[in-house]
Amino acid sequence: MTENNFSRRDFIKLTAVGVAVAAGAKAITKVEASTGAQGEHQWAMVIDQSKCTGCDQCNLVCHAHNDINPDIQWNKVINAGEINGKMVYLPRPCMQCEHAPCVEVCPVGASYYRDDGIVMMDYDKCIGCRYCEVACPYDARSFNWEAFTGDNPAVPEWGEPEVERRPRGVPEKCAFCYNRIDRGMAVGLVPGVDAEATPACCVACPTGARAFGDLKDPNSNVSQILRAHPCYRLRENLGTNPRVYYLPVTEERVVEG
Amino acid sequence: MSTIIKTIRENITRPWGLWLLFLGALMFTAVIAGLSVFWFGLSITNLTDLVPWGLWITIDLSSIAVSAGAFSLCAGVYLFGLKRYAPIARTATFVGLIGYTMAMLALILDIGRPDRFWKSLVYWNTHSLLWEVTMCVMLYLTVLLFETMPILASFEWLRRKYPRIAEKMEQVHHYAPVLAIIGLGLSSLHQSSLGAVYGVIKARPIWYKPEMSVLFMFSAIVGGIALTLLASMLSARLTSKAKVNDILVERVAQFLGYLMIGYLYFRFWDWLAQTYTYEPGRTEAFELLTKGTLSFNFWFGEMIFGALIPTFLLLYKPTRLSPFWRMLSFAMVVGGVVAFRYDTNLVGLLTVISYLPGEAAISYTSYHPSLVEWAAGLGIISYGLLAFSLGVKYLRVVDHRLVSGEHETVQVNADETVRA
Repeated sequence: MTENNFSRRDFIKLTAVGVAVAAGAKAITKVEASTGAQGEHQWAMVIDQSKCTGCDQCNLVCHAHNDINPDIQWNKVINAGEINGKMVYLPRPCMQCEHAPCVEVCPVGASYYRDDGIVMMDYDKCIGCRYCEVACPYDARSFNWEAFTGDNPAVPEWGEPEVERRPRGVPEKCAFCYNRIDRGMAVGLVPGVDAEATPACCVACPTGARAFGDLKDPNSNVSQILRAHPCYRLRENLGTNPRVYYLPVTEERVVEG
Repeated sequence: MSTIIKTIRENITRPWGLWLLFLGALMFTAVIAGLSVFWFGLSITNLTDLVPWGLWITIDLSSIAVSAGAFSLCAGVYLFGLKRYAPIARTATFVGLIGYTMAMLALILDIGRPDRFWKSLVYWNTHSLLWEVTMCVMLYLTVLLFETMPILASFEWLRRKYPRIAEKMEQVHHYAPVLAIIGLGLSSLHQSSLGAVYGVIKARPIWYKPEMSVLFMFSAIVGGIALTLLASMLSARLTSKAKVNDILVERVAQFLGYLMIGYLYFRFWDWLAQTYTYEPGRTEAFELLTKGTLSFNFWFGEMIFGALIPTFLLLYKPTRLSPFWRMLSFAMVVGGVVAFRYDTNLVGLLTVISYLPGEAAISYTSYHPSLVEWAAGLGIISYGLLAFSLGVKYLRVVDHRLVSGEHETVQVNADETVRA
């Protein structure tokens, strides 16, 4: 009986020491949630639905540049009904949320924020649990149920692959063509202004429905467009704070177009 | 060699031999199913991007849930001093070890990159509920290994061949109270966190509620105790190797009946909270449960046979005293918990909420496990049954005559009240 008491007391002591050590470690390392909103640039995309004709070219260049399996779509163009007899479309890339559920839930930290706000995937770290897919409010993630081994039908007609193919067993998604941004900026180009430094979908859009740029720069095209037009974001009530903005189709804007 | 063949020939027609043959066949099929999943990938399952978690996740969640008898009964015995229930806690610990290894097997099949399983231990995202669950499950599995060491030490072959190792393993029993505290802490954390894995997902309103953790924790405790008692009683009926003290089992059964009232209270409260207001996505998902494709599971699996009837049978003395009705109640409680896990996982995934602007458009998708999923899943369950059967036969896992003999810290008689 006494032995029993001792071990209990010892255990409590041990726990107290453990908690103190843990608290100390926490104070030293100061782990804080990073959302990537602190960076020098904050990339954002503005999609004007009144200009989108649903031609799917953004999707095709996306498949070519990112070497995507034809069964998977990073940038799905969705039929969103019609206004005054005109079809309305909604292209849906990854929203690059400021508070991305996929990043929060990933057990191994394979999904993470870049300083410029892009939500990245470390395809080598991912264990394939698919919790991110379950958590994403926008269905922006697709799992590689099988390996993509064949030819890419979008190549070379719509462009050449710029990134490695993802292996079987990991989910993949749009990352705002971070590789184009990085390569372009390294040689002094400006994303959103120079085509080589801008996401492929924005460059390819034949009607100019997609604008790309830096939210931190008040003179960037996206900042100017967002100041001048009413805009909305998808499932804003969830508090994810997406970095993809939509300019809605209104009746007068249909007439304009 | 000839002796082995002789033993096989002698045993093959006996119930034990047939049982092993049956489990062996199921496990063999599962190995083939598992290897084809590793070879061809998850594309041979019926999982999709809309329903990425299915039968295997249910098996994973359920085996962890019904292993909860280990921590709750060990806490009762070693922390609350209910020493005479120690033999039941012994069974529960062994069931726990089996359950957690079953969960590991299900997970290895389910993740897309089983070769990177170790990365979940090396790379940490402390924000993730799944990280917390991974850590707790690994640590708790270690605790369970220590807790089962005295049980494994009773293996006759080990005792004969390596008596000193067996002795050392038996001595781990002295740390039972400490292990029970650690086990209680770790289990409380991850049993409720498994509910929170769903509870934090704001995109799926049927899941997004704090009571997810409470419901998972509570249902795990009732399911865990029920499975331990069911396994004990069933073994005692089927083999002379297992001995139960019916008075002990009956007392715990009554306690389980009261726990079931608590569980029903939480379910009822959770239910009412969902019916008052319309919320896009949540209301539709709730209708999927009560009127849609999951309604049979929900009403019969979870509610009527899974909770209401066993609660009555366990609290009504004549049925509780009858071994048949008591065992049936335990089985129904276990089934109810499994159905609850299956429905909870699927109801959130099958209800698809549109992200298009304007009024939320809700649609339903469907999921039926493929043959490969069933084959592998049944094999995992067979492994659990085999491990338990071997435990009963060779390790005296169900033996209520072991009242206080092996526990060295306190010497008490079964009918004596222990004061701390």
